[in-house]
Amino acid sequence: MWTARSTLKFYVGKKRGRRSDDHLHEYRRGVAVPPFAICPVERMVGVTTMAPLKVDGDARAPLLELRGICKTFPGVRALDNVSFPIWPGEIHMLCGENGAGKSSLMKVLCGAYVADEGELFHHGEKIEIKSTLDARKFGIAVIFQEFSLVPYLSVAQNIYLGREFPGKVLGTIDRQKIRSEAQRVLGMIGSDIDIDAPVHTLGVAQQQIVEIAKALSQNARILVMDEPTSALSDTETEHLFGMMRRLKAAGVAIVYISHRMAEVFLLGDRITILRDGKKVATLLPDETSPGDLVQKMVGRKVDAIHRRGANIKAGEVALDVKGLSGPSGISDIHLNVRAGEIVGLCGLVGSGRTEVARAIFGADRVTAGEVTFFGKRFTGGPDEATRRGVALIPESRKLQGLALIRSVGDNIVVAALDRLFPSHVFHPGKAGKVAQAMIKKLRISTPSARRAVQVLSGGNQQKVVIGKWLTADARLFIFDEPTRGIDVGAKAEIFALMYDLVENGAAILMISSELSEIVNVCDRAYVMREGIIAGELSRERLSEENILQLGMHHE
Amino acid sequence: MSEGALAQGMSVLGRVPGVAFVLVALIAVFASMSPGFSTAPNLTNILVQSSILLLLALPMTFIIMTEGLDLSIGAVLTLGSVVLAAVALATGSLTVGFIAALAIGLAFGLLNGWLIAWLDIPPFVTTLGTLGVAQGLCLVITDGTSIVGLPSGLQFFYSGYFLGIPFPLVIAAIAYAVMHGILYHTRLGTYVPALGGNREALRHAGVNDRVVLAVIYGIGGLMAGIAALLLTSRISSAHPTAAIGMEFDAIAAVAVGGTQFERGEGWLLGTLLGVITIGVLRNGLNLLAMPSSIQVICVGLLVIVALFFDGMRKAQE
Amino acid sequence: MSQIEAAAPKFKLTVSRDLTDVAYRLLAVALICIALSLVSDAFLTANNLLNVLRQASLVFFMASGLTLVILTGKIDLSIGATVGLSACVAATVIKSTGSPWLGAAAAIGVGSIVGLGNGLMVTKLRIPSFIATYGMLWVAQGATYYYMSGQSVYGFPTGFRALGSGYLFGIPIPIYLMVAFLVIGYFFTKRTTYGQQIYAIGANTVAARLSGIPVNSRLNLVFVLSGAMAGLASLIYLARLNSAEGDIGETLTLPTIAAVVIGGTSLFGGVGSLFGTFIGGLILTLILNGMNLLNLNANWQPLVTGLIVLLAVWLDMKTRSKTDSN
Repeated sequence: MWTARSTLKFYVGKKRGRRSDDHLHEYRRGVAVPPFAICPVERMVGVTTMAPLKVDGDARAPLLELRGICKTFPGVRALDNVSFPIWPGEIHMLCGENGAGKSSLMKVLCGAYVADEGELFHHGEKIEIKSTLDARKFGIAVIFQEFSLVPYLSVAQNIYLGREFPGKVLGTIDRQKIRSEAQRVLGMIGSDIDIDAPVHTLGVAQQQIVEIAKALSQNARILVMDEPTSALSDTETEHLFGMMRRLKAAGVAIVYISHRMAEVFLLGDRITILRDGKKVATLLPDETSPGDLVQKMVGRKVDAIHRRGANIKAGEVALDVKGLSGPSGISDIHLNVRAGEIVGLCGLVGSGRTEVARAIFGADRVTAGEVTFFGKRFTGGPDEATRRGVALIPESRKLQGLALIRSVGDNIVVAALDRLFPSHVFHPGKAGKVAQAMIKKLRISTPSARRAVQVLSGGNQQKVVIGKWLTADARLFIFDEPTRGIDVGAKAEIFALMYDLVENGAAILMISSELSEIVNVCDRAYVMREGIIAGELSRERLSEENILQLGMHHE
Repeated sequence: MSEGALAQGMSVLGRVPGVAFVLVALIAVFASMSPGFSTAPNLTNILVQSSILLLLALPMTFIIMTEGLDLSIGAVLTLGSVVLAAVALATGSLTVGFIAALAIGLAFGLLNGWLIAWLDIPPFVTTLGTLGVAQGLCLVITDGTSIVGLPSGLQFFYSGYFLGIPFPLVIAAIAYAVMHGILYHTRLGTYVPALGGNREALRHAGVNDRVVLAVIYGIGGLMAGIAALLLTSRISSAHPTAAIGMEFDAIAAVAVGGTQFERGEGWLLGTLLGVITIGVLRNGLNLLAMPSSIQVICVGLLVIVALFFDGMRKAQE
Repeated sequence: MSQIEAAAPKFKLTVSRDLTDVAYRLLAVALICIALSLVSDAFLTANNLLNVLRQASLVFFMASGLTLVILTGKIDLSIGATVGLSACVAATVIKSTGSPWLGAAAAIGVGSIVGLGNGLMVTKLRIPSFIATYGMLWVAQGATYYYMSGQSVYGFPTGFRALGSGYLFGIPIPIYLMVAFLVIGYFFTKRTTYGQQIYAIGANTVAARLSGIPVNSRLNLVFVLSGAMAGLASLIYLARLNSAEGDIGETLTLPTIAAVVIGGTSLFGGVGSLFGTFIGGLILTLILNGMNLLNLNANWQPLVTGLIVLLAVWLDMKTRSKTDSN
């Protein structure tokens, strides 16, 4: 049985994916019964009690229209002449690669950025959004991926943050009213979160719901959502989609940013594609297909990821994990990786993949189990792992992988200082030579080895991280989402590098949310679910369907 | 079964703040070691002596909850006292002197707030700088000596009684009530944990976070101005180093009270207990004839122990 | 792998940020010197200039260790109190044993222990450094007062006093020491793997840890070095003053931080240099010397130092945010 969750991560060009997509089209047209709980009538009441849609000016005009919006940052044209209307009661999908300008557009809408050029029309009247207050005045609410919640305030206080109801005594707030209003708004979504709970005690999904409640409490007419389902479970996702439909029925416009093709076609009334800050097209779902969409997003024909030949010569066991458990929520993890192999580690976001990687590398505390590198027991921290020839290419390049203010050269040699300079005397000339060679080898595009890493593109930054570990002579690489936020061309280069590494006898453990990457790149894969290894898939059984089967929550 | 009961008992105990245990333990130790400790006059004395510290520790709680710090508050208190004395002598009016002290305190608080909120200078270095400035002004105004010969009416504010209650306690109680009201019943108070926990959220909510921050530091300065009245009354004079270093006791009280230096977690009742704990510690050591140098070391160790247990608690969560 | 050998380094001659920073600060030194020589005849005398350098050397010793700490993105507010405690312990050791060498060992030993205490609080107990070292400030100061119990120790052997007030070829001995430590410090920060790791930790502590740098042990190292340098500074201070009292280090923390900040080391870590700190100390000393020459009361010193700290940090933030957006 396909649920909404199971289709979330299918990718272009796969037969099964295509079929499921047609399936979804039928849902959208109402031909088939959608796999969502039908909203009970009493919940609909919540929506009808919302303020009726107020129409100022021309009723036939779009709710909001963007005309020729431009935003330039030093060196980057983030938005380039973007125009499109947003109509009441539509779910408007916004698609584009990372860096295409989606988040800049969102920030212009919510008043965090002010557009350099261009005009905004609200019901046909020209408006200016210069602050978040302006945006709120026009009924625009944005739900960001990074939560805008305060950990040590209650759910109710967070929902009405900045809009507290005044109390009887001058300067005070009416806490009771804040509580009752918060309760009402959460009821509208059908959530039973305790309004008095401090937000730091909530899980990620519950925090997401509080975010949405916060936006709804502002009587938002235009709701902008940035990948809201990335941290939600099946039921929560269904709940969210149901709620979105009800909002839509009440005339609210939803601008929805998603990387998940299934969601785009399931929910979208219209789809706007951005590329390099420009609008490529606004399409109806019927006029397009996932393949077409991706092609428009990347701007050129996507080459299917080159699948590695089957002639794998697996060598000695590079990594052997037995019964690893830790306070970060992983338990009884067993896995191994041999030299010459690329082994995938997949599962939903939050299933514990990153935590396993960190525990193996010695970055997090473990409570049980053992890790063996190249036949020798390992118990130390990241410094010891590095000495043993293990590399971790972390999830967040900017926060965990690179010292952004330091030069490309400094970053390349930083993990190899002890190896290159065993006497601890540092020779800048030698370091420069090594860095230069690595820049050349990995074709890192930088004006100079002395340039700060922060000016490089995402793909080149990732190459610097990989170069750092090549310089350190690592033989076991743990890649955590190696292609996140980098363009298609750079992705292919990263994979080519990985193939090169294993052909020269290295071992790779790769974490990825893109199932197509796992299927095409890996020789076998482990699938995680809620902190445990749900199963292992051999090369023959490695398919997106099987991964989803294992990785899904069973209720 | 017994294990379950034990766990339940532990969880009940866990809800009592650590500072309460420390306070009870200290009182027990001092009561057994020095007979003069648990007398009514001495206990009242502890509370009266703690009142000045409370006036500093209350706003310090707010400031630390914003992930800030105010190292200048002791020096600003001293400056307030010096200004109060100098102006009172010059004009012959205590009221004018007190207003001047409030004004100078508020000015320094707002200066701190402006430097931190608008110029983005880290709080500890900002307030270290203004500490130097305030201390320097004290020295320049007094030329390094005490200001004496203040009107005798001044003594009422520290040693007088209001409805049979020592006047400093009245001031302290009002200050606590007001600060409690601000933190838990006003917009400003709601924004205090938000400044420390997620400043971005506050900006997105359309709140001018800089103004809020400046107001919070301003309150700190104002409270130092009020404390200056009690301090000057207590020593019947103004001395350029009278309260230098009192910011340490204030920060210690807040830390011992369980307010965190990160993420905007904090509570005012803990600070009250922290202030009394520090007061008990200093008074008890005093009765045992320990020099103030030992007292300072003990306060420092107490803070380290408190932070250590906080760290353990966080590691468990 | 032969590629590594084959590739020749092709560094363009780019003027690094460090160099321009230092150039601006040298310009500031020149301007202050010109201004002071205009307003006071006493300024441009060999005696006064050597005196300024000697004062600056004292600031440099304290500030050099602190620079290492600040480069890692941490802070050490206990510097002044550490100088005080080391000086008092060294003074009593020299008095009772008559041996300056034992005194020196005691001063550096006490400084290192205090530094280690700071380091362990930061790395093991995970207390933010500004609060841990601030607590240490008071603990060390309390310990100093308790140890001295109001007494002062004075009158040290001439050989020891030469360390602070002696001359060699007409130049005060502390200046030689400062030059020596400037060279050693340059080598340590720029030409050892430890120095590279210190910069890496300051630039991004998380990334440094995940790159295999033993972050905790390096942090302990810089705190110990900071304490040890404070111990060394206390010796020169002691030799110069020829007496030790409990309050000896009380006013030293603010000028030390001022020197580092004026020198261009970022309080956020990863940027700065020891040479910058030397110039920072020089600028601070010149300003205080100028106040002296203009007969401004010593009571003005904390006020001016405080203002300088605020101004320097503000200027630093300004220039940094400008270069960041470029």
